[in-house]
Amino acid sequence: MKLHRIKAVVLRHAYEVRHNANHITYMVYWPVVNILVWGFFTLYLRHGDRLQPGVLSCLLGAVILWGLFNAFQRDMAVGFLEELWSRNLVSLFASPLSVSEYVTGLITITLAKAMVGLFVESLIAWLFYHYDIFPMLPALIPFILNLTLFALAIGIAVTGLIFRYTTKFQAMAWSFAGILMPLSCVFYPLSSLPPFLRPIAWMLPTTQSFEGMRTAIEQGVFSVAHFRWGLELNIVYFFFAVVFFRRMFEAARMRGLLVKME
Amino acid sequence: MLVTIERLTKFYGKFTAVDDVSFVVQPGEIAGLVGPNGAGKTTIIHVMLGLISPNAGAVRLFGKSLETDREQILQRLNFTTPYMAFPARLTVLENLTVFARIYAIRNPAAKINELLDRFGIAQFRNKPISRLSSGETTRVGLCKAFLNNPELLLLDEPTAYLDIQAALQVRDVLLELQRSSGTTILYTSHNMHEVQRICDKIIFLQHGKVIATGTPIEVTRRILKEHREAPALDEVFIRIAGRQSDEAASN
Repeated sequence: MKLHRIKAVVLRHAYEVRHNANHITYMVYWPVVNILVWGFFTLYLRHGDRLQPGVLSCLLGAVILWGLFNAFQRDMAVGFLEELWSRNLVSLFASPLSVSEYVTGLITITLAKAMVGLFVESLIAWLFYHYDIFPMLPALIPFILNLTLFALAIGIAVTGLIFRYTTKFQAMAWSFAGILMPLSCVFYPLSSLPPFLRPIAWMLPTTQSFEGMRTAIEQGVFSVAHFRWGLELNIVYFFFAVVFFRRMFEAARMRGLLVKME
Repeated sequence: MLVTIERLTKFYGKFTAVDDVSFVVQPGEIAGLVGPNGAGKTTIIHVMLGLISPNAGAVRLFGKSLETDREQILQRLNFTTPYMAFPARLTVLENLTVFARIYAIRNPAAKINELLDRFGIAQFRNKPISRLSSGETTRVGLCKAFLNNPELLLLDEPTAYLDIQAALQVRDVLLELQRSSGTTILYTSHNMHEVQRICDKIIFLQHGKVIATGTPIEVTRRILKEHREAPALDEVFIRIAGRQSDEAASN
């Protein structure tokens, strides 16, 4: 892998952010709307003294972290779709740029964009709802890392699907996180799920991260078990995502789809 | 040999796009890969770029195989076609800067400015691609193709979207750049006058097979099966395309 080519991919997407207002929408608008709606909801709950202490913090923390996860996996797939929509794939892959360099560049710019969203949400939560996530960040960073890794694995798998099945699967770019949301225990503990769904939810690194987040916020304790189990699951999913992506890419090359994608 | 294609075959299900094709291109040559629609020209170029995997046969460029030396090979060649595009919101300069970075060009701004001047589109430097005509975008593609001073240039119908005057201008610039740098060019086109004018060698394809190779006059004589004093690739093309239409109608 060559750094100058990874930087070229980052530059290409940075130019796109500069010119395309949709990126500002994705990066700032939705995170702002999200945190405002949930913020007002927590204010409503707080007034009636309807909840146990710590629950409101967990809610807002979950909104912020889910926003990060959702933005990361969506922006990665959308970043790739942009090459496809602009019919730029042939030029890119007819150059010395390798697929791994391209994906690394895409991950870098996507991570930067997701961090902007995370920062904006955290700032609004702090300014308007006096919810300060920043002191909790050291305890949350390992779970944020696990969420990011899982989003990356999903982003790679969805990109592989788009390579192979072209725009037929482009809706997955926006919707895949939604499929996982009910089982990821974002806003409620794992024990709230029906017993038959718990083993499935347990296998998701998102569930481990949100359970770990709740333990950190409510009890002020870092849950090594949730972090380690999430990381181990991530390693497995990441491995399968890369294998799946390679297969999809080779299948696309064999079928001549790289030059026909639109 | 700079380009060696050996028994290349590519099929999609029952359809054979490239059928046992072999040819070579010498350093400094301008070779024309010609034939009617569906002859397999673009597929061969895409296989040479590693965008499509062949079912059989081998492609060797600069004496190396794409399977093992993809990065080194693609660093030394370039490609353009009017059928590809660039990110439309990015300006001409931004698009070319991205590719200059990919090819690790030293002093990219100077190189880009030189090429924009050469292809007569310096005035569009800061315009988004979306505001350019197809002909102007084609010329941006040509600038991209010359960014890395390629030793081998693959041009797939490079003048297809250009008006006659612009096509002549581009052809002259191509020849001038080729003469000054000795770039080897593999060129596809349906414009037989253009091919005849610039190509040293012709590889004529039909239904994915090579039906004749040689200089324009040799290919003319071989396919028309008569003695000619001057090349007549237009006539050759019409004869082959006509034969193909008749076959399609009878099937």
